[in-house]
Amino acid sequence: MTPALTRRRLIAAGALAPWLPAVNAASAATSAWADTLRAARGQTVYFNAWAGSERVNAYLQWVAGEVATRHGIKLEHVKLGDTAELVKRVRAEKQAGRSQDGSADMGWINGENFLTLKREGLLFGPFAESLPNFALVDVAGKPTTRIDFSEPVEGFEAAWGMAQFTFYGDGKRVPRPPKRLAELLDFAKQNPGRFTYPKPPNFHGTTFLKQVLLEAAPERQPFYTPAPADPGELLAPLWRTLETLHPLLWRQGKQFPASNAVMRQMLADGELFITLTFNPNEAANEIAAKRLPESVVSWQHAGGTIGNTHFLAIPFNARAKQGAQVVIDFLQSPLAQSRKADIRHWGDPTVLAVDRLPAADRALFAQGSAPGTVAQAAPVLPEPHASWVEVIEREWARRFGQ
Amino acid sequence: MGAPIRPVTSTPARRAWWLPAGLFALPLLAALALALGAALDAAAWRRLLDDPALWPALSLGAWVGAAATVVSLALTLWIVTHLHGSRAWARLERWLGALLAVPHAAFAVGLALLLMPSGLLLRLFAPLAGWESPPALATVQDPFGLALIAGLVGKEVPFLLWNVAAQLRPVAQATQLRQQLQAGQAMGYPAASVWWRVLWPQLMPRLSLPLLAVWAYGVSVVDMALVLGPTRPPTLAQLAWSWLLDADAAVNAQGAAASLLIALLVAAGALAAMLLARVLRVPLRARQLHGDRPAASRTAALVRPLLGAGALVYVAVLALLAFVSVASVWSFPALWPQRVSLEAWMAVRDSLPVLADTAVLALAASLTGVVLAVAWMETAPPAWDRRAAPLVFAPMLIPGVLLVAGLYQVALRLRLDGSLAGLWLAHSLFSAPYALVALAPAYRGFDARYEQTARALGRSRAAFLLRIKWPMLLPPLAAATAVGFAVSVAQYLSTQFVGAGRHATVTTEALTLASGGQRTLLAAFALLQALLPAMAFGAAWWIARRQARRLGTEG
Repeated sequence: MTPALTRRRLIAAGALAPWLPAVNAASAATSAWADTLRAARGQTVYFNAWAGSERVNAYLQWVAGEVATRHGIKLEHVKLGDTAELVKRVRAEKQAGRSQDGSADMGWINGENFLTLKREGLLFGPFAESLPNFALVDVAGKPTTRIDFSEPVEGFEAAWGMAQFTFYGDGKRVPRPPKRLAELLDFAKQNPGRFTYPKPPNFHGTTFLKQVLLEAAPERQPFYTPAPADPGELLAPLWRTLETLHPLLWRQGKQFPASNAVMRQMLADGELFITLTFNPNEAANEIAAKRLPESVVSWQHAGGTIGNTHFLAIPFNARAKQGAQVVIDFLQSPLAQSRKADIRHWGDPTVLAVDRLPAADRALFAQGSAPGTVAQAAPVLPEPHASWVEVIEREWARRFGQ
Repeated sequence: MGAPIRPVTSTPARRAWWLPAGLFALPLLAALALALGAALDAAAWRRLLDDPALWPALSLGAWVGAAATVVSLALTLWIVTHLHGSRAWARLERWLGALLAVPHAAFAVGLALLLMPSGLLLRLFAPLAGWESPPALATVQDPFGLALIAGLVGKEVPFLLWNVAAQLRPVAQATQLRQQLQAGQAMGYPAASVWWRVLWPQLMPRLSLPLLAVWAYGVSVVDMALVLGPTRPPTLAQLAWSWLLDADAAVNAQGAAASLLIALLVAAGALAAMLLARVLRVPLRARQLHGDRPAASRTAALVRPLLGAGALVYVAVLALLAFVSVASVWSFPALWPQRVSLEAWMAVRDSLPVLADTAVLALAASLTGVVLAVAWMETAPPAWDRRAAPLVFAPMLIPGVLLVAGLYQVALRLRLDGSLAGLWLAHSLFSAPYALVALAPAYRGFDARYEQTARALGRSRAAFLLRIKWPMLLPPLAAATAVGFAVSVAQYLSTQFVGAGRHATVTTEALTLASGGQRTLLAAFALLQALLPAMAFGAAWWIARRQARRLGTEG
């Protein structure tokens, strides 16, 4: 264990039990946190979060009730259809000279949105690593909690949940799930028109391309450094694979669905046999919500699939910065994380190091296996360097976009 | 009687004619200037013009808009020609409000549920064709945009019919129409010929604005295109929308440029149509005076079956939405869902408080719009009335995304963002032009002799307006309010941006949930979204009927 981690644990311990004899630094942090808690009381926190799932919305309702009774904070879920709305709003506020009293107090972001907000100086922080519950985050086992799509987080956002690229399909239609790229191609040959991917630059579509790239390329190392000026040679295996795959896709690859949400519905209707997601528990959630039959199974490619983390951030001009930090700390607590991981509520994997939690907290995470979950978890492949995304998307649009 | 025929123009109220216009125009002009500023970025235009997706998307968008407009107009003319004056017409007129109340997006979703490969129609065929999985047919999202055109036509024909009905409803118009029909028929022309040769040439200029709105909508529609339109290429409006919503500022600017390009396309199309109308005027007039007596058209017999089919589509669309809202698992080719659940309606129940907020906001915005429209028509000098037309129609013709971006900047500078006042302002700006378009035919067609009589009897202008004109015009006033109300309820982007996402309406609830793609929720909220406008149109219809009963003019 690193010394830094030990110190953070002490801070956490201090926060939980201020009467214990504590290191000076820790007690300073404790009193700083006590100040934050005091300032947060009575604040209204506008949490701008994607609201496309009524289960997520219901979870946030529960959180609002908890932070109201625990910390006297009024949490308002500002429902977004697209997180880019938040980015645009904060940017417009900055341009209009609104450096305080902004409309958003916290947001649910990652990847491109985080990169944009961070580079344009639109985020408050660093704050994430001084929250008491940060000590519980599994930064060693889940490195993406500190590197968001190759961009160092540096405390400007706090890890909230884990994601890993996952496929699912009805076990009746897909008795032997394809566990590698070559098997996926075989499946498509035997079942033409029953698989597809969302049209890039849709997030899931682009991720599928990255997954194919990492699986088709003879070596992965070049993709973890910035894309060279002429990446043609390196990308050739990707385009070769797609040339083979596209005629076997839904509508012969002449049309692509808009999103993986559309694909999920097509799977439920029987139009597709396999779909893809970033939430390994999505199929299980949908089964629990009675929207998919219990025969649906999930799997990941055996050689590993791309994984990342989603985060919580505070805009630079937030009015209730203390309130937002208190809410974020609560969202990282074992209680909130375990409820979020529970398939009956949301089913979003935790960012915490569950095995290192005290027994009582660990017990919160104990769940029986539910139908639809991934039976055999595959290793996590880190996201390629962010510069590849634009290269791949641009070339895909040129080759297949029109 | 020696009373002056020309209206008096020097009363204080008349001199303040610029006030309603200014209240409307100032924020609008500011928003337009800011929006255009964003759209005139040279780098963004270079990016746009270099984008290989531009030309295919632009041609697809132009094709969809043009085809939808031409087909909708042709169907409208044909239906009115053969149906007007019949009992079936009266029945149709009564139902138009209800058809208009179905939101575009909801109609698109319902139509897709009917037509798509896993939709109801193909499920009915599945046992015959032996399909176990949905067939690989491009019945929606086809490369030519035919499904999208069909969806647009389904929504625009009722809109155009409603406009024709509004033109013909004022007593003076109706009388003139009857006389011309009788005269024509007395000369041996079948009624349809009188329509084509005499009545339509008179009415068409007055339909040009609604037609312009249909064309503009067809070119810039996003929500219907997402459900029914092709993706490769998508229409330019879809591309512009995705660019404008991107987190990257450079991509945003490209989207703003694309939106301006759409506005230019709309203007170019309108110009072309005007030129075409001018060129065609001479040959049409020649045909008018031709001495032949054509036989009655045989296509007349098809009008009623077609209307029946149209009505069936609407019923099927609404019924499917209701059905699918509880069908949580409904895999092909089953006709009955494998799993039924009321979960979506639980979510609707949780969202019910926003129903009242939405209604209050929409009522405030639509009444503001109607008040502005009335004030304008009562006070503006005729020359200015014509000059102001482009401004009035700007919110209808400029892609909403672009205008919202400008309006949001205005709200930010006035510190109205996130406030109800800002939302009220934004919604009023969007409702007012629709209220004006809906109200203008009846209001301008109001018989001037009533005013002369009232003034001759010594009534003040205020008394005339309050006791005679407005009560008599109550039905069109109510109808215009209903239209403005529906426009306000449908606002999404303006509500989200100007309201900073803090003021939820049924539409923001519906569309944010829709981003998750849960079909049960989508269907339930689409119905919820249709509920408020339906109530508004119902109220307008009830007011019209009550007045007709009282005046004893109901057929």
